[in-house]
Amino acid sequence: MEGKRPLILIVDDVAINRTLLSDILIDKYDIIEAANGNEALLTLKEKTSEISLVLLDMVMPEKDGMEVLAIMNKNGWINEIPVIMISAETAHSLIEGAYFLGVTDFIGRPFDEMVLKNRVNNTIRLYQKQKNLSDLVLNQIYEKTRNNSMMVTMLSHIVEFRNGESGMHVLHINTITEMLLRELMHRSNKYKINKNDIGVICTASSMHDIGKITIPDEILNKPGKLTPEEFEIMKSHSINGAQMLNVVPVGSDEPLVKYAYEICRWHHERFDGKGYPDGLKGDEIPISAQIVSIADVYDALTSERCYKPPFSHEKAIEMIHNNECGVFNPLLIECLDAIADKLVISLRTFDWSRQADKDFFYIADAMMNDHKHPIYNQAFRQFIDERKKCHFFESMLDSILFEYSYTPRVMKFSSKASKVLGLPRTIIEEEGTQDLKYKVTNETSIENLEKIKTILRKHTVPKDKPILIKQAFFIGGKSTPCSVKMLQIRANQNETSVLVSAYGHIDVLQ
Amino acid sequence: MTLSEFYSFLGESLDEVLERLRMEERVVKYLGLFLSDPSFNELKEAFASKDAKAAFRAAHTLKGVAANLGLNTLSSSSSALTEDLRPGDFTANSQTLLEKVESDYVNAVGGIKQLEQ
Repeated sequence: MEGKRPLILIVDDVAINRTLLSDILIDKYDIIEAANGNEALLTLKEKTSEISLVLLDMVMPEKDGMEVLAIMNKNGWINEIPVIMISAETAHSLIEGAYFLGVTDFIGRPFDEMVLKNRVNNTIRLYQKQKNLSDLVLNQIYEKTRNNSMMVTMLSHIVEFRNGESGMHVLHINTITEMLLRELMHRSNKYKINKNDIGVICTASSMHDIGKITIPDEILNKPGKLTPEEFEIMKSHSINGAQMLNVVPVGSDEPLVKYAYEICRWHHERFDGKGYPDGLKGDEIPISAQIVSIADVYDALTSERCYKPPFSHEKAIEMIHNNECGVFNPLLIECLDAIADKLVISLRTFDWSRQADKDFFYIADAMMNDHKHPIYNQAFRQFIDERKKCHFFESMLDSILFEYSYTPRVMKFSSKASKVLGLPRTIIEEEGTQDLKYKVTNETSIENLEKIKTILRKHTVPKDKPILIKQAFFIGGKSTPCSVKMLQIRANQNETSVLVSAYGHIDVLQ
Repeated sequence: MTLSEFYSFLGESLDEVLERLRMEERVVKYLGLFLSDPSFNELKEAFASKDAKAAFRAAHTLKGVAANLGLNTLSSSSSALTEDLRPGDFTANSQTLLEKVESDYVNAVGGIKQLEQ
């Protein structure tokens, strides 16, 4: 096996035992030693994704081998890091106990050097193979999920654009649906919603209006009031959307298609039975459609439309309470009240890239917690945790931050950076073109972007150290001196180091 | 004294040890390190301070270390003491078993010192 030498953690309270093991293994492996259970756990926590194998003694002061195993079980490390126990222990029940706690192998003392080497080698190879496969699967899922949610979002936008509405509607419905669903699950288990379905229902919610592609332009975009005949045609978008999904030749058993069908068909039903197309009443209306219905109404009220100005959040909530725009499940109105404050903030700070990450988190979470086919991948868990941590800190910092990935070329700004520099949150550079694609009308914003691009093109000394650059930006209409701190991350490809990403922080100098 | 003579002197077999640990130099090195291994002293101290759990751990360690170096007499007397102490208390036999361990230990250490000269 080419590449990095695997890392083995040797845990034994007796120095002579550790030295002997490390003597035997040092020519093929990197070794770290721990003299007791507590030290071992600290090392495991710090280097979870680096350690390829643990050689664990059973009888030790502080925490013994069995206690270490119990904690490795609790943290899920045991699923990913193989443990071989080495002990002079001969008590049958204790050895069985060690196997029960998940050790891959038990080697008694005195041990044979050749056998030890082979068992270590085999165990590491097997686990490495398993890890490579699970990495492969997760990477593909990551790509697929991103592509899928992008696809659904783009298709839904096409419908929206034809309608003359901003594409934000679909994204808002998504957010509102999710928050309502979570609140509902928190308050009641009446509807037996599975946690793994949240992501699916949210994605399905994007499709609620696909039936509108069957509505003629002159009706869809008529500025004035619709005639009763026109309104009948307009109403057919619900059933038409459902029928479109019905004739899609694939996926009829998929939860996504099932939910999308419910939502398309019944998102204009009313709780009192006076909605359309089927006049369903109360909980005859599937809960997914009930939720999207209320989300749809809330967003329609708070957005500008060709026939009305936007209402305030408070006014919209009041109108929903007074049944001015439909009649809803009282339980859902309670949920809406409960999330009202959070909702305003979420919709104001919406970020698509975070949305895509979120879809992925759902799937990854669901897969890793799937009891039938669990995927164990500590590195991945850490990655997910890091992303969550990153989002959290970014939201707390309120700083001017930017993040750039060199392939594909994507630039992201923190919300403050976007505001101060006058640039969108995310800028994607299209394949084959030289420029980051963006829609900025403002001259000074374009200049700000050019300045950041120049900084990004620098090659800092490849030492993983941030550099400090003085640079003026146009802020608040005038050129303002700033300092930029930037860290560039590289990866080695075919022995040359390639820029992968850059992270930057802009400080306004007083 | 050669390494082979050392093992014969203790009534053990060098061949068995070499089969497991491969190299004579390695065996010599670890016999040397065994002199500074604190397990035996810890065992004695645990008896002196009436700490049966610590005594169990020390005996257990001694059993393993000795076994790996092919010091089987010492390993088996340590093993007997380990089992005696496993329930967590000293028994009527503990002292006698310790004395056997001590005599085997002194014997082995004496041999190693001669080997080093």
